[in-house]
Parts: sequence; structure tokens; C-alpha cells
Amino acid sequence: MRRYVARQLVQFVVVIVGISMLAFAILHVIGDPVLLLLPQNAGKAEYERYHKLLGLDKPLYVQYAKFASRALQGDFGKSWYTDTPAFRLVLQRMPPTIYLTLAGLVMALLIALPLGILAALKRHSFVDNLCTMIAVAGQAMPIFWLGIMLIIIFAVRLKALPASGYGTWQHFLMPAFTLGAFLAPLTMRLVRSGVIEIMNMEYIKTARAKGLSERMVVIKHAFRNACIPVITVLGLQFGQLLGGAIVTETVFAWPGVATLAVESIRNQDFPVVQCAVVLLALIIVSINFLVDMIVGLIDPRIRVGA
Amino acid sequence: MKAVAAGGNAALKGVGAHDGARGFDARRASLSRLWRLKWGLAAAALLLLIVASAALAPWLAPYDPLAVDIQHRLVPPVWMDGGTPKHPLGTDQIGRDLLARMLYGGRVSLIVGVTAVLISATIGVLTGLAAGYFGPRVDWLIMALVNVMLSFPFVLLALAVIAVLGPSLLNMIIVLAVADWPLYVRVIRAETLAICERDFVTAGRALGMSHARIVFRQIFPNLVSVIVVIATLQVARVIILESFLSFLGQGVQPPTPAWGNMLGEGRVYMLNSWWIAAFPGLAIFVTTLAINLMGNGLRDWLDPHMKL
Amino acid sequence: MGRAAALAIAVLLALGLAAPAGLQAQTKDDTVVYALQSDINTWDPPNSVLREAIILGYNVFDHLAARDTKTGKVGPSLAVSWKALNDTTWEVKLRKGVKFHDGSPFTARDVKASFDRVLDPEKKMVARGNHSKIKSVEVVDESTVHFQTDGPYPLFVERLTALVMQSEKQMKEKGHEWMQEHPVGTGPYKFVKWDKKQEHLLVRNDEYWGAKPAFKYVRVRIIPETATQIAELISGGVDIIKAVPPDQMDVINKSGQARTGTSPILRTAILQLDQAGRGGPNPFTDRRVRQAVNLAVDADAVIKHVLNGLGDRVATAINPMAFGFDPSVKPYKQDIARAKKLLADAGYPNGIDFRFRTGLEVVEPAVLQTDDALAADMVKAGFRPQLNYIGDQTVYTAQVKDGKAGPMFNWSWGYYSIFDADAILYDVFKCGESWSYYCNKDLDELIAAGRSTLDPKKRTEIYAKAQRLLVEDAAYVFKWGLRGVWGISNRINYEAPRDEIDRMWLVTPRKK
Repeated sequence: MRRYVARQLVQFVVVIVGISMLAFAILHVIGDPVLLLLPQNAGKAEYERYHKLLGLDKPLYVQYAKFASRALQGDFGKSWYTDTPAFRLVLQRMPPTIYLTLAGLVMALLIALPLGILAALKRHSFVDNLCTMIAVAGQAMPIFWLGIMLIIIFAVRLKALPASGYGTWQHFLMPAFTLGAFLAPLTMRLVRSGVIEIMNMEYIKTARAKGLSERMVVIKHAFRNACIPVITVLGLQFGQLLGGAIVTETVFAWPGVATLAVESIRNQDFPVVQCAVVLLALIIVSINFLVDMIVGLIDPRIRVGA
Repeated sequence: MKAVAAGGNAALKGVGAHDGARGFDARRASLSRLWRLKWGLAAAALLLLIVASAALAPWLAPYDPLAVDIQHRLVPPVWMDGGTPKHPLGTDQIGRDLLARMLYGGRVSLIVGVTAVLISATIGVLTGLAAGYFGPRVDWLIMALVNVMLSFPFVLLALAVIAVLGPSLLNMIIVLAVADWPLYVRVIRAETLAICERDFVTAGRALGMSHARIVFRQIFPNLVSVIVVIATLQVARVIILESFLSFLGQGVQPPTPAWGNMLGEGRVYMLNSWWIAAFPGLAIFVTTLAINLMGNGLRDWLDPHMKL
Repeated sequence: MGRAAALAIAVLLALGLAAPAGLQAQTKDDTVVYALQSDINTWDPPNSVLREAIILGYNVFDHLAARDTKTGKVGPSLAVSWKALNDTTWEVKLRKGVKFHDGSPFTARDVKASFDRVLDPEKKMVARGNHSKIKSVEVVDESTVHFQTDGPYPLFVERLTALVMQSEKQMKEKGHEWMQEHPVGTGPYKFVKWDKKQEHLLVRNDEYWGAKPAFKYVRVRIIPETATQIAELISGGVDIIKAVPPDQMDVINKSGQARTGTSPILRTAILQLDQAGRGGPNPFTDRRVRQAVNLAVDADAVIKHVLNGLGDRVATAINPMAFGFDPSVKPYKQDIARAKKLLADAGYPNGIDFRFRTGLEVVEPAVLQTDDALAADMVKAGFRPQLNYIGDQTVYTAQVKDGKAGPMFNWSWGYYSIFDADAILYDVFKCGESWSYYCNKDLDELIAAGRSTLDPKKRTEIYAKAQRLLVEDAAYVFKWGLRGVWGISNRINYEAPRDEIDRMWLVTPRKK
């Protein structure tokens, strides 16, 4: 077990470093930050001065070293748009996105679990395809379409929920459902395949032989073990979620990191983009790490390797 | 990550399943299999229809999709009050015919989708093969890279790159291809690892076959089913990613119609002139659904025991 | 299955408990909710280019003079009277007994401090250019100030409405950085808090020297999506939204919950052409080409069909509400044949390909539709514009400033709320200015003449000449004066403001 943890830790660090390098490199290749900072009729002397000030005259690896060392202390520089520290800005906006993502995952599970199990039990039948259709519907329907439809129905027509914003649990329902619908298809497929695999395993056959009802077999054994691939992929999903989160946050005026990042890219506010990317990646990798730990704990086959 | 690999193993146990019955029974067996695949077949037929209509757009479209006609803006579809058979699906906010834009938009969305997937599948499969075949060092390196890419909030990267390089069709395809290739690597790698342990590979190596021969003649054919199924599903995903980018203004640029940017332009109008966003949305919906069902069918046909 | 459900419920409960207090203690009846599409970058108005920062600033700060919303005339605010002592000196008398939100008194020293701060070249404040004609400010006594101007400054009184009065004490004790997030003014509302990019909260200033606001709290919500804003308006979540696209007006008016209010606003829209060649050689440096493109477009039809009539056709970029507007100067009428001929004469019988930049619906709603329509018109005369859409305000304005936006781009100008022809001619037409892509010595002379006399009759003549010049020379493609459209909840009374400043203190509840 210890070797497994060690291997995962090493990979964790490598990935983080890799991401920070990527984040750093992309943004320095992208544009000339000095040109954006300066007022229009600044002369060459001003340009040189700012160039030096931002440390852009030093070789790339020196710049990266500075960036990395400062980043470790939480200093990502100041936002060029509002002059506040980028780290503070990103951190402030992180919790709403995290909460939304978690709520979305829960919703996805609520949709995907029953559908996936049903599809697995009635494999290759019409019901199987129907479950696929329902699960896929949430993803195939453009997210903002779903979001705005929900707003129209529940906020405008029925006046049951607030149309947008953040604060109470009612504010969570529609955005969480929207995001969850987006996540549901892949989750459903995995639940389905996980259940199928378990169903064919020896100990299930034993349980059946023992005379347990099909329902008991499913609920007690299959379900518990199907969770492994589901947990794994939910962890992986975090990284892919961002696309859905951006649109959901925009439609529901959700004060999260996704919209902050998109706006900052548009404004070419590099410090904030860098900070958002690194912090988001940190969270994603940490979650993957956690997931691998949990799964490794449960299933010894994983520890030893494929 | 390992969990999926473990899953991959189980899939391969079913690989030989369709080399089943021979002779007279074979035909009956395949006919009944075809019937079971009816949903997949129906989906495939629908998809064919969609692709054909997109391809034949210049002949099917009643108007030029770029023809502006401000005297006839926001005309509703023909079955509604104020609709006219001249514009069966209505017109958009500057009078362009929606049917024409849908047909031409389909071309762009489908071409972008298929091309991006072809590129990303190629990269992903080659990388996965390398990871599985060439031993633990290469494997570790590749998997570290893959994990970096998977953990990187990719949409941000895409936005940043396009925001700077400019939203051309080519840039979009490249960005979308780069988005997805890591997804193939894990599965391909797992399958490759499993296959490598089988006798015919070890035999091949003992016989002195070159790496390339082993990989492409012995390993690759066993992966085709998985690749095809994943790639098919990915086309759907890429079409949706394209609509995200267009929603954010970084996709295909107006006035060129693509389902994604038509959706983006139409989103303000959802409260009254809903058809502008509804039809492209419906198109994406139906296409994605059809692709997924066809993917299911393909999976069941090629390898009914496949995991996905 | 039960376990999953239990888990789900537990998570949801936890979320509900953990969700931080975005809730305020206010109730619906004492709060008016105002929606913005994007957040401001600072609460220090002279330091921001964003109109939203100026609008919010009006609610927390006061200016020396203020525009009466009914008559449109400039009247007293923190200053009670002013007069020109000579061509270059103005004396301003201040209101007595006014206090800042922190309790300290407002005096002449604060006026001097506010102006000095903006004029200081070291500080590089955004608003500096607007007030650069003021050479110095002298404190005569507690409530009298003298302004020395660099030559005659006819816009002096108008510009008194354009600088907020900030506290000298805050500048000295707290410093520039603190002031970006903590506004301390003398205005009808006090700043309470700012959740960045989410919302702002203001509370009524019960010691305000002027008319006290009816609503105790103002909540400013940032809602980026127009569709969401409209949904919020008609479901009661928001009371005032602005920049409603003309096509969405019927949704609001049919809802029974809200209505739209429109007003001609000072903002005028144009398509700037790179006559000055800032981006390099291009076909629009030739007058015939510029005239051709003006003759190609049918702006009247676009106003009628695309904007549903919500626009006021103008011959030049000078708005009908601005001082110096000459109604006798007539705009171009569409004439495709003449346009084609002019193009051929200029040496382009086969037409021209060029890039046409557009964007910024946040400033000019429906700009994409109108520009699409105008581009389609241009095609009829042989032009081949390639529309290039840029969604972000910062990027777009940066490109314009750097001279990279040509050869044709959409632009609109709000005059900084100064109702005077000079407020657009100088910035957008004078050779060499950062927003100007036009260079004409004759026009520059007229501009200089117009700002160097205080005699309104002379100025009117000068500006009439300027307008005729602009039309003959087809400086740009002139679109129209915009009409702003606001969405207003039926539970309040509010009039659409012609200077685009939303004055929250004027909002009153509607009696049922």
C-alpha cells in the first residue's frame, strides 16, 4: 500500500508542476502584456521600463522560477482589471463553483444511478436504449437552453424559484439540475457497465444460487461494487466539468470561478487567468488523487496494477 | 485511473464472442442480432439523413443562408401565426432564412466534429498504443502527460488560444482535437497492456517481428471496436463543445452559420422569437442522440461484451 | 438506493447550511434592485473608463453641478452659484453644511483636492483629459473656490457635472488603493459592501442635504445574460434593467409585471472609417469611397425595421440634444447607382474587400443586427465587408485606441454626458486624438475656434460650419442617435434618463 501511495504522490507533484508550466507558457506566448498595460501614446522608453518592471527581459526559465516561487506563497500578482490580488479574487469565487459542481454531481447521480442500473438489468432491450436516450438528452440539449427553459418555467411562470443568483438552497436547484443533466450520460454509461460487470461475477452467481431475490442481489452486492468505477469517473469528470460550469454560471448569474476565468481571458487579465488555471487544476488533481486513494483502498487489484 | 484499466481487462474477455456459430445457423443468428440492433440501425439511418441533407445543402436550401432581408425579420415558422410557406422554419433577427441556415450550419458542425475526432483519435490511439506497448518508463511519461492534460481546465485553454490566435475554422478544429485525445489514451493503453500479455504477441516477438508489425497487425485489430465506439460518441461531444465555444463568441464566426453560433445568437430571443435558437438546438439534440444510439448499436454489434 | 438518497439529502442540507450569506437583512419593500451586465472595476469614478462606474458613482458621490432631469439644464448641486470673473477665471460658491459619509465636513479644500488629484499627471487618472483645461484650483475661503483655466473654457459649467467630489481626508489618510474599494462621498446613498462581480449594496444617507431617497437600500446585481435579466425583471427579482434590445420590448410589456421606458440618449453611433490612415493605407482615405459607402447604406430603413423606430437619424455624429446641433444639415439618402459610380471613379470598379469590426452590444444593443443589415446594403454597391465580431469591451477599446481597429469599425460616443458638440468633435474627429481616425486641418481649426470663445452665438455658427464639412467630406458613415430602452418593474416609478445616468434616489414605489 505504501508503494502505491508513494507512486501516486509522485505523479501528483509531477502533474502539478506540469500544469503550472503549461499555464505559465501559454500566457507568455499569447500576447504582449506590456502593450495592454500601457496607455496608448506611451513612448518606447515607457515600454522598456514596463518590460523590465514585469521582468519580461529575463530568460523564460528565470521568469518561470520567479512565477513558481511566488505562486507557492499564494502570490499571483494583481489583477490588471481591478488592481486587487489575483489570488484573493480567485479564492473568493471558488466556493460557489465548488458547491455548484458538487450539487451537479449529486444531481447527476440521482439521474444516472437509477437509469444505469435499469439499463444494466434490461441489457440490449428497448429499455436499455430508452435509458440511454434520457441520459443523453440532458447533455445533447444545449445547457443554456435547458437553463433558460427552467428559468422561464419555474421562475417566471410558476414563481417557485429565484431566477438567478446565489444564496439560498432554492438558488441551487436549477443550476445544479442543469449541470447534473450535462454530466448524466457518461455517469449512466459507467454505472451500467459497472453493474453489468459485477452481475457476471462469481460471488453474484453464488448469491443467486443461495436463492436471494434478484433485487437483493442487485442492491446489496452489485450496487456497492459498481460504485468504484462511478467514483473514479466522477473524480475524472471534475476536470471536464468546466465547460458546463461556464455556461451554467453565466445563465444563472452564479458568482463562480468559471465566469471569472472566462471574463479574465476576454479582458486579457493574465494574473487572474494564471491563478484560476493553477488553482482549478490543483483541485482537480487533488480530487483524482483522493479518488485513487479511496479506490486503491477498496480494491487491491488496482494497487498492484493492470 | 487504474479502475478503468481494470475494467478494460474484463472487456477483452469477450473479444472472441462474435466468432460464434457457423453454417446455417449463422444467418439466423445474424438476422436476429440485426433485429436486436434495430434502434441502432434506425439511429444510423437518421444520421445518414442528417449528413445527406447537410451535404446536399446547396441544392436543398431555398435561399442563400447569408441573404439579409430586414423587411422580413423574425418571421415565425410556417405553422404559426404570421408564418409563411416562403420561410418554412421562419427567419432570424435580420431576415435570413432559418431552413437554409440549418442545412448549411449542419455542414460546418458536422465537418468540424468529424475532423476534430479523426485527428484526436489518431493522436490518442497512437499514444495509447505506445504507452501500453513500450514498457513502464514510456508508459509513466505518457500517463503523466495525459494526466496533466486531463486535469487542465481545458475549456480555458481553448478559449485563451482562440482568443489570441483568432477564431478561424482551422484553429477551432485543432483546439477541439487537442481537447479530446487524452480520453482515448487510457482505454487504449489498458487494452494494449492486456493484449501484450497474450501468447501470440510474445510469440511474435520471439519470431523477431518488428515493433510496427506487432502493433499494427496483432494488437491494433483488437482495438478497432473500442476505437470506433469511442470515436463515434466523441463526435457528439465535440459538436457540443463547438456550441460552447460559439456561445462564448469564440467559435465559428457569424455570419457563417453553424449550429453552435446560431444558438448563441438566438439565446436572447428565446423569450419571444424562440425558433431562432430552437431549431439549431433541436438539430444538435437529434444528431447527438442519433450518434449515441448508433454508438450503442455499434458496440453491441462489434462486441456485445464491451464495457461502454 | 436508500443510501444514495440519504447521502444526497445530507449533501443538499449541508450545502444549504454552508451557503454563505448572500442574503441581506433587507426586505423587498425597502430595497430597489438594479441590474448591470458586468461589474465595475473600481469605486473611484475618475479612475475608470466604464460608464457603469460613473453611474454608480452618481449615487454615492455628488458633483459641483447637476443636470435637472426634467429640463436638461445644468443647475446647482454642491456648488450653489458660479460666475466667470474674466475669460480665464471662474468663481464658484459652495453649499454650506454638507457632510461626507464619514461625518467630516465638505469644504473648498475637498474641491481643490479632488481636482488636483485628477489633474496630476503622475497619477494617470482616466478622467484627466476631460478636465485638462483647468490650470489650477485655489481655495479662497471655506466655501469659495477659484478656477484658473488655460484660455477660455466654454464647457466649464457643463464639466462641473463631470467630476465627483471626494474627501481630502480619505485621500490623505487612506490612500489611492483603499479608495478603489471604499467610496466615501456626500451623496444620497452610502456604500455598504461589494461582493466582486456579484453585487453591491448601498444604504440611504439619512443626513443627505438634498431630496432623500424613497428606498432605504439599493442592491446592484451583476447579471451577464440579457435573457436572464429579462427573466428576473418579469419574475420580480430585479426592478430596473437597461440596454434592453428593441426586439425584447414586447416580452417585457406583455408580462404584466414590468414595462419598458425609452428615451433618446446622448449616445450617437457611427461607423468610423480610417481616413487618417492610422492602420496604414486603405481605400477609405479617398473621399469618393467614403461618400460611396454613405450612399450605399439605407440607415433609415435599418432604424425602421431593425430598431423598430428607436433611433434618430443624424447627418453627423452630433446629437440633436447637444449644443451646436444644426438641423438644417441633411444626412445622406441611399443611392446605390451613385455609390457604384463613385466607387468606379475612385478606381474600384470591382468593389472593395475590407474588414468591418463590430461588437459591444453592452453599449449599443442590437448593434450586431444593425451592422449586419448595413453590411448587406454595402454589398449591393460592390463593397465586400467581412464582419469581425469582438465581444469584449476592454479588448475592443484597446484596439481602437491603438489605431488597429480600421479600416471600418462600429463606434458610439456618450459625450461623457456633456451636451455639447465639442464633447464629441474633439475626441472623435480631431487629428491625432486616440479615438479619432479622421484628420482634416480645416476641421481642427473649427474645433479650436469653437472652444476658445465663450460666446454661444459664435460657437453655434462655428459648429454649423463643422457639420457641413463633415457631411461633404463624408468623414465617417453616420448612423443615428441612440434611444435607450430600460425595463422597469411595475412596482416602482422611474423615468428613462436621457443622459443614461440611473439615479436610484429618484425611484419611488408605485401605489397600487
